[in-house]
Amino acid sequence: MPTAATASPGARFIDPKVLVRIGSLELAARFVVEGFINGLHKAPYLGISVDFAEHRGYMPGDDIRRIDWRLFARTDRFYVKQFEADTNTNFSILFDVSKSMSFGSRGVTKLDYGRYLAACLSYLSSRQRDRVGIVTFDDDIVERVPPSAKHFDVTLHTLDKIVAGRPGALGPPLYKATEFFKRRSILVVISDFYEEPEKVLDAIKPLRFAGNDVIVFHILDPAEVDFPYDESSSFADMETGQKIPVVPDKLRDEYRELVQDHIRSLSQLCSQNRIDYAFVNTKVPLDHALFKYLAMRHKMTKVR
Amino acid sequence: MSFLAPLFFAAIAALGVPVLIHMIQRQRTDLVEFPSLMFVRKIPFHSLRRQRVRHWLLLLMRCAALVLLIAAFARPFLRSTALAAVTGGSREVVVLLDQSYSMGYGGRWEQAKDIARGVVRDLAPADEATIVFFDSGAESSTRSTTDRASLLAAIDSAELSTGTTRYGPALQLTQGILEDSDQPLLEAVLISDFQRVGLDSAGSVLLPPGTVLTPVSVSDDSPTQNVSVAGVSVQRDLFADRERAIVTARLANRGSEPVANLRVALELNGRELESLPVSLDADGPATVTFAPFTLEDSAMPISVRADADRLPHDDVFHFTVAPGDVVPILIVGRPGNTGRAANLYLRQALAIGSSPAFAVTERSVDQVTAADVEAAGVVVLNDVGLPAGAIGAAITRFVEDGGGLWLALGENARWPGDDLDLLPGPIEGPADRDGRGGSLGFVDYSHPVFSVFSTPRSGDLTAPRFFRYRPLRVGPETSVLARFDNGDTAMAEHRLGAGRVLIWTSTLDTFWNDFARNSIYLPFVHKAVEYLADYEAPTSALTSGQVLDLSAYPGAADLDVSSPSLVVRNPSEDRIDAGSDGRPGFIDLTEQGFYEIRDSDAGEADPVLVAVNVDLTESNLEQVDPQELVAIVTGRAAGDRSLGEARELAPEDLERRQTLWWYLLIGALGFLATETVMSNRLSQAELDLDD
Repeated sequence: MPTAATASPGARFIDPKVLVRIGSLELAARFVVEGFINGLHKAPYLGISVDFAEHRGYMPGDDIRRIDWRLFARTDRFYVKQFEADTNTNFSILFDVSKSMSFGSRGVTKLDYGRYLAACLSYLSSRQRDRVGIVTFDDDIVERVPPSAKHFDVTLHTLDKIVAGRPGALGPPLYKATEFFKRRSILVVISDFYEEPEKVLDAIKPLRFAGNDVIVFHILDPAEVDFPYDESSSFADMETGQKIPVVPDKLRDEYRELVQDHIRSLSQLCSQNRIDYAFVNTKVPLDHALFKYLAMRHKMTKVR
Repeated sequence: MSFLAPLFFAAIAALGVPVLIHMIQRQRTDLVEFPSLMFVRKIPFHSLRRQRVRHWLLLLMRCAALVLLIAAFARPFLRSTALAAVTGGSREVVVLLDQSYSMGYGGRWEQAKDIARGVVRDLAPADEATIVFFDSGAESSTRSTTDRASLLAAIDSAELSTGTTRYGPALQLTQGILEDSDQPLLEAVLISDFQRVGLDSAGSVLLPPGTVLTPVSVSDDSPTQNVSVAGVSVQRDLFADRERAIVTARLANRGSEPVANLRVALELNGRELESLPVSLDADGPATVTFAPFTLEDSAMPISVRADADRLPHDDVFHFTVAPGDVVPILIVGRPGNTGRAANLYLRQALAIGSSPAFAVTERSVDQVTAADVEAAGVVVLNDVGLPAGAIGAAITRFVEDGGGLWLALGENARWPGDDLDLLPGPIEGPADRDGRGGSLGFVDYSHPVFSVFSTPRSGDLTAPRFFRYRPLRVGPETSVLARFDNGDTAMAEHRLGAGRVLIWTSTLDTFWNDFARNSIYLPFVHKAVEYLADYEAPTSALTSGQVLDLSAYPGAADLDVSSPSLVVRNPSEDRIDAGSDGRPGFIDLTEQGFYEIRDSDAGEADPVLVAVNVDLTESNLEQVDPQELVAIVTGRAAGDRSLGEARELAPEDLERRQTLWWYLLIGALGFLATETVMSNRLSQAELDLDD
């Protein structure tokens, strides 16, 4: 929840309750991330950064040139000095800020929920020494923060000032974003994916094909899932402005079925394309989503 | 179905309101913003559902309530009588029951009551009825009631009256009842023997349009048998210084068959004095003269009774005979035969007549005594002057005490010059009229002496010729009753003390005029003498239905009508009030027989008897065609129900009587209440589903 006293502009996205839960998972998360990164980057690019990060024990395969001999002299153990660039990967969030994301039936909009999620993930990544960046888009790139070990605050600041106002489209901005990620990155796509599953995959697949690990968070409001409306009303599409008179009574069941089909299709297609898919309902607490994500990453790591 | 205010149907447009409520009210005017209608667009069918009605029953109920409400305000009514009968076709029935005494003929009265009971029993529950009893007047039982028991009780307790038949008052009462009625169907049932005598009064009555008047006649076509005692005449004479009465009864056979040996009895105080047989021709009269009987000192109740026939009310005639109905007259004339000759016409005229009878005493002017004067009721100075001395003074005193004096001025009427008290002015010498003589030019017909000649063909007072007279100089204060055609006084009245003096300026024989040979001489003499004697003919019998004014009734004038000790008993021996309608001294005579009036404080004084008989016009049983009567009072033939059923009531009256709007309003309220309950339950059910 927003805390005016917090110095960091993005600190308000880190719900203390969430952080409590995240805190208890921190070790596991670090294990997962680090193991994931280690396993993923068998031949990682040499770090060009001089930012010392930490020491770690020497493991076979490590460049012996990077052994800290001074430490060896003191401890008689081989430690490898790790620098930022060397030890972490790029972590970027692709955040859909189209108009539809501003919908929320329970006080929390999907955009807000996405912000929290992105902030948490960024924070996690930042704790892992990953380079954190963000790309916001609607039907085009809105803002881009390149991944950097120092861009956590900028990322949070970017998240803070997001305004959802324009119609969205996945294809063009994501195609364009593909160009941004020349290095292998972990890409988290947060969107409500109001497009046909095939089109969604068409938009995401290039990111995956570029060698990135793509994690898809499909955020929907409970009202979008359950369609709890009662009175006949005129429904307006928030992005196109199109109005349709709707009598929700009998439409509800079919709508729910369509939404579930949509979710299933996305999940299936993502799975087929080795893209991690997580459906998040904004009525579910944020920490659940994060836990779900980390658990999923852990499982995926094992699979790999 | 018609409507008084069809413009209200413009409000039928309001029917759109519930439709709009159904079609629009369910659709929130709020716009629901939704992230994407991608999935909604895939379900086009359901998006159109808002144009459909969800609850047809609710919509129909709302529309029905509104239609009924509008229809109620439009004030509908039915023109069809059959339909109107369903919604309010009850009847207003007036049963007119003739209770005149002619209904006592045979068993007509019971038959009529049975018919009336049948009419009451046949009434529908919603019908209102009134029983109108009528004879010469009419009175109703409880007006416009549905209480059958009270109607039947009224019929059961009804009795024959002694009145005559008059349809007018009853029909007028019926007219008022029907006009005041709210019932759509108006009916009247007239139960009567339909005597023609009552028809005249019905001419001014016209029952409300549409009234069905059903005549029910209780008479039959069989020959009528009715003899009535039409009246009596009483001759009086003196026998052994007692006054006797000879009663002659007139009978009339109003039947179509002759009657033989009908016994007619003379009764005194209910006790038969004499009975005689009499035979009458069909539709013919007869007279019966009974033997004379001596009168008593007080009035005697006498009845003449014929044997009862099928109509008993007119078989008896009651009357009273009081003694002393004789006016003593003293005629003072000239001495000798000339005087008797001058009195001839006067004497003969006074010898005729019995009501009153005149007891004439003739004296010559030189023989008359003061006792003669005191015994007289009227003194006639026929062509003589006022006797000198004590006789003259006695006559003057007689007049001053209330006696009557008639002066006939002839040649020998010489009046003492210094005694003009009895004269209005000086008398001059004889004046002659030339040629055919003079005649009466002015007569005061308002005076009791001449009023009998006031009507046409009741005597030509200008016929007598006057050749000589004695001019009389009178002052303006003197009442001149007749003048000759030359303006001179023919007859004048002069008052002295309590008495009256009539001055006739010519003779009462044929010496100076031919008046005595004229037919008007007799009534003229009688009226003049009766006036001078202040005579009032005693009333021997009154007719039922009359109101007796005690203060004007001979013999009862001395009674204190406001005294609580005044006792009036009717022929049924019941004590009744001596005040009709709160007016003391006026008694309604409703029964046949003798009313007895006495002051209980007066001890053994004889009561005043009033004989009351039925009106004999009712004895005439001649009938009128009931259809004729119906046509008179309804303007159409009897039993013409078609007109009655199709009678054109004003639309306002139809609407007011049917009050269909009330049913429509109740229906509308019922629909609205049901709709409220149903819609609440439906809403609750939907809320439960949402939860």
